[in-house]
Amino acid sequence: MLPQILPKDKLADFARFLMGEYRLAAPVAKGHQFAFEFIETPEDVGRIRMDYDITILPPKKFLHPMYEELLRFGGRDPATGEAPIQAEPTVILGAHPYDLHAIATTDAAMRAEPADPYYATKRDATLLIGINIRGYVNDEQFMADMRTTEPPEGGWDLFMTDLGDRYYVEVGSDAGSKLHQAAGMFTQAAGDDHKAKQAFDNEKASNLPKRLPYDTRYLPELMSESYDSLLWDAVARRCFSCGTCTNVCPTCYCFDVQDKLNLDAASGVRRRQWDSCQLHTFAEVAGGENFREHRSSRLRHRMFRKGKFIYEQTGKPGCVGCGRCSVHCVADISILEAYQQIADEAAVSAMEIAAAREESQ
Amino acid sequence: MAESKPTISFHDFTSCEGCQLQVLNCEDELLDILGAVDIVEFREAIDDKADSYDVAFIEGAFTRESDRKRLETIRSKAGIVVALGACACTGGLNVLKNFRGLEKSMKTVYGDSADWYETSQALPVEAAIKVDYKVHGCPIPRQEFLEVVTSLLAGRTPRIPDHPVCVECKLRENECLYHKSQYCMGPLARAGCDAWCPSYGGRCYACRGLISDPNNQAAFDVLEEFGLTIDDVLTEFRLFNGVYDVSQPPTEARVEKQ
Repeated sequence: MLPQILPKDKLADFARFLMGEYRLAAPVAKGHQFAFEFIETPEDVGRIRMDYDITILPPKKFLHPMYEELLRFGGRDPATGEAPIQAEPTVILGAHPYDLHAIATTDAAMRAEPADPYYATKRDATLLIGINIRGYVNDEQFMADMRTTEPPEGGWDLFMTDLGDRYYVEVGSDAGSKLHQAAGMFTQAAGDDHKAKQAFDNEKASNLPKRLPYDTRYLPELMSESYDSLLWDAVARRCFSCGTCTNVCPTCYCFDVQDKLNLDAASGVRRRQWDSCQLHTFAEVAGGENFREHRSSRLRHRMFRKGKFIYEQTGKPGCVGCGRCSVHCVADISILEAYQQIADEAAVSAMEIAAAREESQ
Repeated sequence: MAESKPTISFHDFTSCEGCQLQVLNCEDELLDILGAVDIVEFREAIDDKADSYDVAFIEGAFTRESDRKRLETIRSKAGIVVALGACACTGGLNVLKNFRGLEKSMKTVYGDSADWYETSQALPVEAAIKVDYKVHGCPIPRQEFLEVVTSLLAGRTPRIPDHPVCVECKLRENECLYHKSQYCMGPLARAGCDAWCPSYGGRCYACRGLISDPNNQAAFDVLEEFGLTIDDVLTEFRLFNGVYDVSQPPTEARVEKQ
């Protein structure tokens, strides 16, 4: 499936074409920032900002909504329950490579058996059209280290690169191929187009230096070594445990399930909503026991989820290096900084262990 | 076989009665509420009085010693007591007068007639009687009132959020006020309002009280970096949460002593 060209002045037409068949979600301005929103009317196509820097929330909100109805129950008889699992055909236009990687991660997590039917149904009905990045947009990003600067292998349908007056559109799936053919406004890329894309890539690579002092293949092990580090207490001193980092994280997928009763105290809905391991109620169980009572243990847990656990569970990156958690943190807690610091923390603890061993001999 | 419906009542103390108005604002649900319970006392809507209530909702702060008796009477007649709104839950805005000085406040409000009236430290209802549940907010979110009513009807503990407003604010994808160099109580304030104020151009004043585990150290550190002094921070806290203030009355110890 060879790359295609979409003239830039045809983007609006393409968006309207998509709206004919799908619900279209795309990045739009939100104050001085950006958010993915559904484009409701053909006129709204003009609001699409393919040149956005980064969105507040990642596109996971369309696949795993912050509030989602799981079940309707009519009374105390379980047979009256209904679980409406359905999804409208949707296109997410304009996802950056790191967000495509993050969706690959949530795919792996949510589709591991037993697969989450609510997620899987939405995901199957969703096409992903990515847009390339030119470099970092803030000091907290480290996609080069996390290897998320290019789209992942599979899982996306089209991937666009802005070449000035035209988009160079790579085709990632049969559905993507059918989509551009049906739209009828794409032409196959020619020599000059490929050349321009190569130039774009070279320029892009120079804007994406690595920011960690070590290769991320060592990250999970460095995390393990720094488990008892005082670093987590020090960082947690400033942590509000407000859950912002996990809510804006593209790979966080934890949720809480609650029954909302109607006034008859018998019928109602069961719904789930995003939860956060940073909230002190997260690991609290019946009887009042809390497995992560201290905010430093909650903060450490998140760092471990992102740098070790998710990767070990899914084989996909638990952190894609997008920097959202750090940029949105009121207290400026930086995951990049923490991952930079653990290299030293781990070395110190290795030294201490060696010294203790020597002493005991 | 018709079972008798649970009875509920509403009582008001020092407040604007806006939270009771919020109850009347549950227009879509009012008929269902009336189908499920008997409202036996509600000055804002009916004239009746009752001898007992299954659930008594109390709005308003405890600001006159002479109100203690009335509160105790309500407590003795009620199975469950629910504090309704910021004034009842934390003393609300009324607590500001404690920091200003009672005499000065009386003079400002009543002038030469100040002596005609009685006042004392503004305190939450809890300072006088045991409160079973709290519906926070200025005003209360209607949904939370309904959650409390349905939960009590079903015989289960109402779910009142105990996490910061930031959670709901982020889910609404609001631009963070801190990104706009404005200070906001969101990281310390109890959620449940769906981040009303930050969503409509305001900032959070923590009208729903503080979460049970606020990181005050982080607040002082971060606010200092924003150029706020200790006094600025305390002013911010005191607007709705003066009752938690450690540097000035009313402290919990004082509440106990009274």
